[in-house]
Amino acid sequence: MAETALKKRSPFIEFVSKATSSAGLTIIFTIIIAIVATVVAGPFTLLNAIVTGGMWALLAAGLSLVFGVMNLVNFAHGEFFMIGGLTAYYVFTPISAYLKENPSPFLTALAPFAGIIAATIVGALVGIVLEKLVFYQLRKRTKEQWVMNSFLLTVGISVIIINGVQIIWGTNYKGITSYWDAKPLEVLGVFISVDRIVVFGIAMVTMAIFWYFLQRTTTGRAIRAVSQDETGAQMVGIDLNRIQVLTLALSSALAAMAGASLLFMFPSYPTVGLKPLYIAWYVVILVGLGNVAGALVGGFIVALLQTLTGYFIGVTWDDVIPTAFVMLILLIRPSGLFGSEVKGVHEQ
Amino acid sequence: MTQNSSVKYTYEEQEPIERIKRLAKKFGISPVGLLSLVILLILPFIPPFNQEHLLRWLVGAALIAAQTIAFDFTTGYINVVNFGFAAFLGVGGYTSALLAVNFGISPWIGIFLGVIPSAVLGFLTGILTLRLRGIFAALMSWFVGLALLGLTRNLTELTRGPLGLNAPTFLETASNRPYFYIIVAMMMVTYLTLRWITNAHYGLAFRAIGQNIDAARASGINPTYYRVFNFTLQCAFAGWLGGFYAHYYGILTPALMATSHTVEVLAISYVGGRGSIWGGAFTAFPFVFLIEFLRSNLTELPGLHLILYGLLLILVMIFYPGGVAQVYDTIRDRITNRSPQNQSAAAD
Amino acid sequence: MLKVSEIDAGYGFLQVLWGVSLEVHEGEFVALVGPNGAGKSTTLRTIAGLIEPMAGEISINGDPIGGMPANLVIKEKGISYISESLNLFSDMSVEENLLLGAYTIRDKAQQKESLAFVYDLFHRLAERKSQLAGTLSGGERKMLAIARGIMSNPDLLLVDEPSLGLAPNLTHDVFQALLKLRDQGVTILLVEQNVNTTLHITDRGYVIEKGQIIMEGASKKLLNNKHVQAAYLGI
Repeated sequence: MAETALKKRSPFIEFVSKATSSAGLTIIFTIIIAIVATVVAGPFTLLNAIVTGGMWALLAAGLSLVFGVMNLVNFAHGEFFMIGGLTAYYVFTPISAYLKENPSPFLTALAPFAGIIAATIVGALVGIVLEKLVFYQLRKRTKEQWVMNSFLLTVGISVIIINGVQIIWGTNYKGITSYWDAKPLEVLGVFISVDRIVVFGIAMVTMAIFWYFLQRTTTGRAIRAVSQDETGAQMVGIDLNRIQVLTLALSSALAAMAGASLLFMFPSYPTVGLKPLYIAWYVVILVGLGNVAGALVGGFIVALLQTLTGYFIGVTWDDVIPTAFVMLILLIRPSGLFGSEVKGVHEQ
Repeated sequence: MTQNSSVKYTYEEQEPIERIKRLAKKFGISPVGLLSLVILLILPFIPPFNQEHLLRWLVGAALIAAQTIAFDFTTGYINVVNFGFAAFLGVGGYTSALLAVNFGISPWIGIFLGVIPSAVLGFLTGILTLRLRGIFAALMSWFVGLALLGLTRNLTELTRGPLGLNAPTFLETASNRPYFYIIVAMMMVTYLTLRWITNAHYGLAFRAIGQNIDAARASGINPTYYRVFNFTLQCAFAGWLGGFYAHYYGILTPALMATSHTVEVLAISYVGGRGSIWGGAFTAFPFVFLIEFLRSNLTELPGLHLILYGLLLILVMIFYPGGVAQVYDTIRDRITNRSPQNQSAAAD
Repeated sequence: MLKVSEIDAGYGFLQVLWGVSLEVHEGEFVALVGPNGAGKSTTLRTIAGLIEPMAGEISINGDPIGGMPANLVIKEKGISYISESLNLFSDMSVEENLLLGAYTIRDKAQQKESLAFVYDLFHRLAERKSQLAGTLSGGERKMLAIARGIMSNPDLLLVDEPSLGLAPNLTHDVFQALLKLRDQGVTILLVEQNVNTTLHITDRGYVIEKGQIIMEGASKKLLNNKHVQAAYLGI
């Protein structure tokens, strides 16, 4: 291992070996499928996959980060998505109604951002409360069987949030037709709504900021340190509790932001989070648990897989086919296509 | 921990009472348990429980109780959560119902035939995932459950999908009382079989694997064998109980296989006490009654009962991981052991 | 500066240390030697705050620190611990590992200074600064762990078995590095199984057996002790 790493390799060989790794092959393969699909089914499928893919990527990155840092298998991740949508709805609709009576083109363009930002903040707050109120309490008492026990706690949290929201706000769909009332733009010969374009932009910008934060800032580095070696992190003076609160807050904020951004596609109702939850899990299993960088790419792969299934086989099958695919991955390569940084997948 | 070689006396030398006691212990029968069973058996004749709608609750409670027994056999012993439990229940139910509808096979035979696909699916899931860490097995069984749910929903020609499949009932009668005795009998068969297995040397191996898989392996236990055996058996019982569901309620919808149903069984089994086998079953009766009561009296607050599930699950997991079974043990120890040392230990 | 008095410690129900006491003065290079499983690493882990002592007191410059979590021990008391298993962040580059070593220092200029200092001390690390820690050789990994440990500018360095798994010439390098640090004024408590070399380079030593300190004294004196010679030096 160490020997090969020490050898100087030409950039070309470097590139070829990267491209033929399983991660590289997956990406190349996905691109080929995307091109073929565009030719056969039209560019709309591709555009659709890219728009939702960006948000799935954010959702999955948060899930993966929480697993890496806290060893938490989060079953309540979809509920953050739901809370995000709900918050955005209750912030955006009154503003939008007010603006109908007092038109102001400038504020109309900005109003959706108010909803999305509010959702992100609420998501982060919910994450902080849950860490302090639930996970910290368990961690303080026992670390035995932590992975399984904390997973079951998230199951309980999920049930409480879903039904709590149902009691307070009811089961009806709370959605909007669009954030921006503008004419669809023409891209590659397809008309695509302004909402989708902006949402894609939000996803890209957030991904870039998120990536910069993890790679370049001291706190981001500390988060990665905890996920790689908890004892080592303590030894250099990192406060685990602080990092854990921060990580859950970040993860839930990203999920809530995704929920808010996709409000025009997924109207908020109590169990709306279930589908995003398993999509995020598909992504995470596909690329490898704890692999945050992989999750950012994996979001697009799963979105493409879904769109293609919907187009070629039938919309109701867009759960079954990705499930089967992910199960296959889990069987053949439990550490995921991109390889996982987390140790101990196998017990034998 | 008793080793067979250290047991000097043989069965022939024992008093008949001793032999009965030993036999009872082997199947997990205690005087208190026996008394509870007797009460349960005469309950349908005692007002107000002789009313049909309360009898219906009793049948539902016994069905849940039997499920928690099978569920705890896996979570409480080998520490693997079958998150697709409800789907295995559904497979058994659908098989039995389809056999009755399409081939006119009697439900009495059908429920046993329904065991086969559940067990086979359980065996396959087990053998493919139980070589991975417990949490992966939980995720995988969840995905299997989701896939089975998706299939049931989509194969409408076979299952009629969400419209529901009508299954013939066991009996012509409209009374719920005979059904109560059928399900109590099934519950007891489940209990005695699984208790018999866990009290034999298998139980020790299961516990060893559940607590520390590496140590278990070091002492010569083959974890995969025991885990697959355990998982398959659980799925077989789930399939069998699913058959009862089909021929009691007379209608099957894919909703039966949803994750929320697994959560229900999981919560009761945890509140009852992990690894006790009887704790969940004992808790199921008051719990289901409380929940049915809430559901029928607080119709303006739908989902309140589910919040209760979630809240109890979290509270028990954090503050009192032993559940109801531990409460019972503590009380029993206080009554039987009056030495001050034991009392102070129990007071902790 | 460090004073450990009568501590009991262990893991869960398993008690490893029974009334261990030791002292390290400013500028000293102290050795803690003993056989495998005697409790050497447990002593260091307890001082570093990774294990909470069951009884007894640990103090630094007179302030008690027993039971303080590890991240505060390093941050507020200036104690840096280099573990046996190194606990490096193997998917991060050498430089990132070093910067994390200076996590408690928020002043960028001071971080840069520390970085320059360790690169000067370990030239190999400077050459490999963008390489992932997981791809380093065994000796380089030890160097990195020590370098990461001194990035926080500690007053006291706890070093656990640096020679473990190293070829003799690399062990020599590691010990040379420690001596260099001592010359820079860093106080060091070193745990080692390699008793001979250790007692030759340290000022003072403690011998621990079965969780109890059985002997202490100047390193030179310990080298001439009958028990030490028989049990550890094979004379």
